[in-house]
Amino acid sequence: MRPGAVLILASALFFGACAVQSDVSENESPTVNDPLEPYNRYMFAVNDALDGGVIRPAAEAYRFVIPQPGRRAILNFLRNLESPVTLANDVLQGEVGRASVTSARFIINTTVGVAGLFDAAGAMGFERHSEDFGQTLGVYGAGGGPYFVLPIFGPSNFRDTFGMGVDVFFDPVNLWAGNTEREGVALIRTLVRGIDLRSRTIETLDEIERTSIDYYATIRSLYRQTREDEIRNGDLAPLPELGAD
Amino acid sequence: MKAIRGIFRLALVLFVSTGIGAAYAPASAQDGGAAVFIMELGDSALRMLANSELTDEERTDEFRRILLRGFDLPLIGRYALGRHWRRATEGERDEFNSLFESFIVESYATRLGRYGGETFKVTGERNGGGRDSVVRSEIQVPDGPRVRVDWRVRSRGGTLKVVDVVVEGVSMLITQRDEFASVIQRSGGQVEGLLASLRQRVR
Repeated sequence: MRPGAVLILASALFFGACAVQSDVSENESPTVNDPLEPYNRYMFAVNDALDGGVIRPAAEAYRFVIPQPGRRAILNFLRNLESPVTLANDVLQGEVGRASVTSARFIINTTVGVAGLFDAAGAMGFERHSEDFGQTLGVYGAGGGPYFVLPIFGPSNFRDTFGMGVDVFFDPVNLWAGNTEREGVALIRTLVRGIDLRSRTIETLDEIERTSIDYYATIRSLYRQTREDEIRNGDLAPLPELGAD
Repeated sequence: MKAIRGIFRLALVLFVSTGIGAAYAPASAQDGGAAVFIMELGDSALRMLANSELTDEERTDEFRRILLRGFDLPLIGRYALGRHWRRATEGERDEFNSLFESFIVESYATRLGRYGGETFKVTGERNGGGRDSVVRSEIQVPDGPRVRVDWRVRSRGGTLKVVDVVVEGVSMLITQRDEFASVIQRSGGQVEGLLASLRQRVR
């Protein structure tokens, strides 16, 4: 199997085991949970250097070489391939309506949308959403556990690292690639996903860095809040206590 | 996608660079006052951005005025400082208030974009507890994503002020508080450490 995936899975299993124990008591008020902060800050800096040297230039080249409609089609294609993982997690969460939407989108976009290159289902009003196993665990009450910066992949926590391992392991595309000795396909897919994601976040991340006095702490906060929002499927968050004044 | 330049500025800039003509019909039992306030705030900002006679500098000044009028920055700052507010001396509080205002204005009111065809729609209003309401809205970026933005609005002495902006579930208040807490913690728990960082930032 893919050495990268094995590594992630192994670390996920290890951290996942810790996460389950420590998360039960996490209360609603969001507090920073970062006992590994020295390691995390170090890895954040390593990733930042890697980004400046390799990932960002690749993302810029991607933007430069491939025009917007082409990048749109690639994004649609990648997202369509994510449908089975989203569907499995919709089902695990007991979300019948959302599971139907995901199925409809997959069928429509794979056929009418020419193997997923066009989001035909979106135009018909079937709006895309994404689910992963980290969110599923969250829906069942698991807190995020300690914040954890992954090499290359960046911000995560124990729960979501474990979830990512599970999703990677059960992803039909990966299973197919593993069974037919097409590991290269899975690797290329991960690579393009990363470059595409980075190409869509250049301005946003620049802006966050520019307006931050502690970039690391800001990203850590954004990660936690974004994941909580995804787990709530966009419902209004509990409002922070502001006092009566 | 050129309109997307930052996550909160995204909301603020898109919000102000957006057609507020969108109809809003209060669907709930709420009186819709906060929703109307949010639409009016955006309306004055839209007029500013659509006014092609303004120089970039005048545009920034006008944005700053709208920001200061519509947002309760002292309250936002006090919350962002969290438990450290109570321990801070009178002098530290005063300096923090003025630094925080400059920090926010500098972060959000610079490099304003032009109107890029975004549309803004108020989708509802909810009770936020006490004198607070939450106005829910959506911003559609042309050829891009639809962004959910919630505005927490507080009524005080007959005036309405924005006390939090929540973009796709990310709260400006919480993010600012987490960041400031980290800076203070890394300065050995001293508020002075945060003040020094802010001083350096706003100069």
